[in-house]
Amino acid sequence: MAINWKKLLIIGLIVAVFIAIPLVMKLRTNIMNLMITLFIYITLSQSWNIIGGYTGQINLGLAAFFGCGVLITHFLWESGMPIYFAVVGGGLSAVILAGIIGLPTLRLRGVYFAIGTFALAQVCRTVVGNTFARMVQMPASYIASYSIVPRYYLALIVAIIAIAVVYFLINSKLGLAMMAIRDDEVAAQVSGVNIFKYKVLALLISAFLAGLAGGVYAFFRLSFMYITAVFSHTWTFEPIMSVIIGGSGTLIGPILGSIFLVVLSEIFALKLGEAHLIIFGILFILVVLYSPHGLVGSVDKARQLLTHINRSISKLRGEIQA
Amino acid sequence: MGIVIQAAAYGIVVGAVYGLIALGLSLLTGVMKFLNIAHGSLVILGGYISFWLFKLWGIDTYLSIPLVIIAMFLVGLVLYKLALSPLLKLPNIGMRIDTSMLITFGLVYILDNAMTILWTPNARSVVTSYTGESLGFLGAKFSVTGLLGLGVAILTAVALYFLLSRTYFGKHVRAISQDAEAASLCGINVHRTYLISCGIAIALAGVAGVIIISCYSITPNSGLSWLLISFVVMVLAGEGNIKAILPAGFIMGLLESVSALAVGAPYREVVALIMFILVLMFRPQGLFTKRG
Repeated sequence: MAINWKKLLIIGLIVAVFIAIPLVMKLRTNIMNLMITLFIYITLSQSWNIIGGYTGQINLGLAAFFGCGVLITHFLWESGMPIYFAVVGGGLSAVILAGIIGLPTLRLRGVYFAIGTFALAQVCRTVVGNTFARMVQMPASYIASYSIVPRYYLALIVAIIAIAVVYFLINSKLGLAMMAIRDDEVAAQVSGVNIFKYKVLALLISAFLAGLAGGVYAFFRLSFMYITAVFSHTWTFEPIMSVIIGGSGTLIGPILGSIFLVVLSEIFALKLGEAHLIIFGILFILVVLYSPHGLVGSVDKARQLLTHINRSISKLRGEIQA
Repeated sequence: MGIVIQAAAYGIVVGAVYGLIALGLSLLTGVMKFLNIAHGSLVILGGYISFWLFKLWGIDTYLSIPLVIIAMFLVGLVLYKLALSPLLKLPNIGMRIDTSMLITFGLVYILDNAMTILWTPNARSVVTSYTGESLGFLGAKFSVTGLLGLGVAILTAVALYFLLSRTYFGKHVRAISQDAEAASLCGINVHRTYLISCGIAIALAGVAGVIIISCYSITPNSGLSWLLISFVVMVLAGEGNIKAILPAGFIMGLLESVSALAVGAPYREVVALIMFILVLMFRPQGLFTKRG
């Protein structure tokens, strides 16, 4: 592909700014926490975007892959592995889990994949809740040496990896096959696309990213009062919501959606408590029903409207002159 | 031996509840091509309505069923009008299924959190004068509430079966589930049939909720766990096979109670998932369908 230097420069600048932020100024911890949460959400929503937005398979069990990443990373790290390897280990464990559910369900068309992943998240939550009834925590030495900056960088790196994976994916043959499956499964199959293979590949890549996000969360949080919380359906729902609000099947949509969601929940959660999830649910349904292309879609629509207005103005002007 | 029979007695009752939930689900999936993730939350909502009828007016749980049916039928109509009918404009059925899953997943959030605010996260159940009573049969003890629940579930399923096979409405439903466009060309009012069958499906969820609150207990978040096993029951019965759903529910319930003896009750969802994967791998058309 041709390299677009202007675009590359802009992206490089944005990345440089994010890298420089903790070096140049000392931000308050709550803002750093917010940034790390944002990066985790970007990773998760890009992960859902690969399987849901580009391949068209609705995954309702992202929380299972995320939680698996959290758990495995936590225990690998506790056993003395360096955190960067532990995070990769968490990602790989999520890939194995995805294989278990993906191989039987993706073979069939219809709702089986959604039901299977949904069931997987529920089952993981039950099993983990029964196995680790006590609090899951790191030894005191880890907690004593807690510093927010390495967490920030790890989250940033993983988010950049997620965005880069999606970028290279959609410009590759694999991405083309995925989009063909989304647009028309039968037509893709007839054209010689091995739909089962590409669906499974998309699921595995997506699960790996979700596992990485889980690893970052394990590194970020250290201890878990209730480990079942990382398997709760919120971790599925909120990434799906940010993908849909931003615009599914686009590179920039999930990023915009995540920013929107994280900022909004920061504002709402403090004031409204449980009711803010009700508002999110209503907002989500409205977006799915009335603006299925999300923010990116409405930007496109607005642009079309502007050109339309421009054209009619110039047409009017031409008529007046004539 | 006694403990196995006792476990089977438990399994039949819980299986009837699964069957009832799965009936509503498969009515929605078969007729309208919607997958309702919020069905479990609606079951719990039905339970809470019955709970309120008991607490506020002292109406017995099983006598409250007609009221719950009416209330949940109305909920179903509102749900269809507000959230599901816009989906009919989508160009193809695949998109309709996917979008309905997303919408009802959002609905789970609205319902669960609204119920948490209204009824607090504590486990609720209804204790009537006959709650502790039980009847001996074949060396096993059936609780009276369980037997009543079993009876209600079977009656409801039979009533639904007659509604679908013997009335004009049922004929419309079957025609639409085969081919909605052709049915519409033959003069069937597709939208009205959708509306009413959505109401019926949600009302069935309400009945299941009443049985659950009288035999077990409910919390605002327990809907998803009931829903999950009912999904598996639906897959066991095979797509669109309404007749086989209650038997499939009994099989699932028995399997669950027997496995609870072997590996422990908390792992019932694991058993359901394993069953789901096995059925998909070896008999994806369901246990009760003949053709492959």
